[in-house]
Amino acid sequence: MGIGELISTYGEIYLQSLMKTWGMTLISFCLAMIIALVITVMRVSPMRPLRMAGDLYVQIFRNIPGVSLLVIVVYALPYLQLTLPYETCALVTITLVVSAFASENLMTGINTIGVGQIEAARSVGLSFGQILRHVVIPQALRSVVLPMTNLLIGTLLTTALASQVPLNPPELTGMVNYVNSRSVGGIGAFFISALGYAGTSVIIGLIGNRLDQRVRILR
Amino acid sequence: MTEDQRIDTVSSTHDAGAQPSIEHAASSAAEQSSSSVPTIEMRHVDKHFGDLHVLRDINLRVEKGEVLVVIGPSGSGKSTLIRTINRLETIDSGEILLEGKTLPLEGKELAALRSEVGMVFQSFNLFAHKTILENVTMGPIQVLGMPKKEAEEKAMELLKRVGVAEQAAKVPAQLSGGQQQRVAIARSLAMNPKAMLFDEPTSALDPEMINEVLEVMVELAQGGMTMIVVTHEMNFARRVANRVIFMADGQIVEEDTPANFFDNPKTDRARDFLDSIKGH
Ligand SMILES: Nc1ncnc2c1ncn2[C@@H]1O[C@H](COP(=O)(O)OP(=O)(O)OP(=O)(O)O)[C@@H](O)[C@H]1O
Ligand SMILES: [Mg+2]
Repeated sequence: MGIGELISTYGEIYLQSLMKTWGMTLISFCLAMIIALVITVMRVSPMRPLRMAGDLYVQIFRNIPGVSLLVIVVYALPYLQLTLPYETCALVTITLVVSAFASENLMTGINTIGVGQIEAARSVGLSFGQILRHVVIPQALRSVVLPMTNLLIGTLLTTALASQVPLNPPELTGMVNYVNSRSVGGIGAFFISALGYAGTSVIIGLIGNRLDQRVRILR
Repeated sequence: MTEDQRIDTVSSTHDAGAQPSIEHAASSAAEQSSSSVPTIEMRHVDKHFGDLHVLRDINLRVEKGEVLVVIGPSGSGKSTLIRTINRLETIDSGEILLEGKTLPLEGKELAALRSEVGMVFQSFNLFAHKTILENVTMGPIQVLGMPKKEAEEKAMELLKRVGVAEQAAKVPAQLSGGQQQRVAIARSLAMNPKAMLFDEPTSALDPEMINEVLEVMVELAQGGMTMIVVTHEMNFARRVANRVIFMADGQIVEEDTPANFFDNPKTDRARDFLDSIKGH
């Protein structure tokens, strides 16, 4: 089957898959950013148990392969009387992994802020929470636009994990499997999905660069 | 301390501590009685960094309106001393009092106390992501709950006073070191502090910018601000300091008027140290 034929036969389902991939990327990345913010605040808090819990979270989810984690989520959670739809399982897995990496990015961003600025904020009388909100987090976020852009691309590629569970419609990689199981799409089917990933990544990269230029902090 | 008590303090008679001489610009501000409540007091303060004994039995009184200059070799504990006063460093034992009240240990009261003591650092430490104006208004808005408009008006006044009003919309990196340090002073002043601490405020500056910062500090001193200044700027000390303390190895080794200290140091250590900085 040639590419033109593939597109004319599977064009619509291909588009649906692309939408699904984009949707999963967006949802899991946004959730991961929120969780990463909470975890990172824990990791810099003055309370040791909170710091340890935050570090542990990152160590666990950064260091387990996504596929293993997906298997655990799909097969272990039902033992806890928690049976989630497959798509939710995939989203949970991606979110956990991405949030761990996002927290690492935020920590790097926080480390770029001189301790002097934090001391200055303390001596003005700002509380710990106010220092985080007005001094630390805004600067950390603005200095990690590029790593976060990379992570968003990483999230996009990680959604391919969801090809391991049945989804309807499938995401891009799942779509390739589907096409190849019904006809001899061969390398052409992969090529189309690769185009979807690469095209999206290039656009994300461009937007990330623009954003970085706009919010970058002069030093 | 109530307003009446403060007026009381100012009108009471002067005695020892700071012998004002004619050249002392701040002499009028030092109309104190040693029996009044000092603005800052340290009693038997000790501090270690691990095995290193950085502050040894420090006793110190700074009266309202007094300007105290702290001088001493590198590593003698000068920074640590003033950082303990707004509790950027904890102490092991002893007591630090602000207008007669012991420093609170933590929480809201500590934050409130910190806002009453301004601190100016060697490296300016302006908030890099905020404009100059926002740097000055952040404290009043967030800590004092001042309405934004009022905070901005007050900030502009202060920026004018330190001579950087035209830079209000810029970010710190667009300013020279001298300008940044003057903004840092304005940021502290915006909190209406009872005292200001300066940790070598001019030693990170290019020579041509030192004076513009010192001028602002001289004006502050003449305006009656209570100040502790770690600095090796002898001319500044002679002009506005009521007292100089010389520190070595975590101890206050000598304490005198600037004229006496610089012209007739009593200890060998002080003499050697003065020779070493005059040599430059
Ligand atoms: N956070 C810290 N941890 C361990 N040791 C420290 C710390 N801060 C300072 N010290 C040590 O304590 C001693 C006093 O330091 P401090 O900064 O108060 O000296 P200083 O008189 O301000 O010196 P300088 O003129 O170089 O600024 C030094 O020996 C220093 O190395
Ligand atoms: Mg120092």
